Amino acid sequence: MENIHIPGTHGANFIPTVDFNAETGICTLGGESYLEDTVEFYAPLFKWLKNFTAETKKLIVFNFKLKYFNTSSSKCIIDILHILRKYQEKGGEIEVNWFYDSSEEDIEDELEEIEDFMIETNIKINMIPE
Amino acid sequence: MEFAENALQMYTDVVDSTIITYNGPFDAQVLSIIAENIEYSLSNNPRVSKKIFKIFIELAQNISYYSAEKQVNEEGNYFGVGILMLREFKDHYSFSTGNIIESKQVLPVLQKCETINILDREKLRQYKRKLRNMPSGVPGGGNIGLVQVALTADHPLEYDVINLDSEKSFYILNVRVNKS
Repeated sequence: MENIHIPGTHGANFIPTVDFNAETGICTLGGESYLEDTVEFYAPLFKWLKNFTAETKKLIVFNFKLKYFNTSSSKCIIDILHILRKYQEKGGEIEVNWFYDSSEEDIEDELEEIEDFMIETNIKINMIPE
Repeated sequence: MEFAENALQMYTDVVDSTIITYNGPFDAQVLSIIAENIEYSLSNNPRVSKKIFKIFIELAQNISYYSAEKQVNEEGNYFGVGILMLREFKDHYSFSTGNIIESKQVLPVLQKCETINILDREKLRQYKRKLRNMPSGVPGGGNIGLVQVALTADHPLEYDVINLDSEKSFYILNVRVNKS
């Protein structure tokens, strides 16, 4: 399986940085996600994850390192978590980490959003200061 | 003279408090320029800057998708047209947007704003989760941007609709963010 690597941009479009690695089982989504056509961007990522979870037996570590994301990207995050949950339900092992900036004083909003992701998808997300 | 003095006072107040004002299509390029401006103007207060940035993106995308007035760019893509203003006051920032909507949208828009305002924070989060799990395009579902705006601002929405003619109305939204 081919790995996915997309360098993020901060400009006319805010494209997140994507690193999906089939050899290590480590997938990272970072940077900023404010796209005009969110579904168009995320659809290939969903497809990759679905194929990967169908083939592999490895531990999948999913690292979120997002600084900003809009509400339509948050729907896509939910979709990613649903794919991971299905993998978990059929016996796969997953670890989902959410990295946050520990130098920031106020992370209440961010914590609330992660809590909402956990409630909605029934997946445990580890909060990791960075 | 009194009128002139009042007008001057009003002008001075608006100019003094205004950080950003924009009127036109909300395409990706414009969004990135305004976003940069926000980051630059509010760099001394990262917490508020982050909130304002989040709110800006949702409001701008709402105008871009839902404004009934559209403009086409060089690549042939259509973008909604509207007005946006960010102003600074003693203890808060105020984000105002205005755009034209179809008159048949008035009721759903008002209902959405009302619903958001009557819910407390916990209920608002529940509402957001419910909307997020509905497929896009379902009436009443889809757009959760405004719910997120209210959560991020942590203030009720101020809104109004002015009837322009039988088909079009002007929708005004004002969102407040405390400085501390």
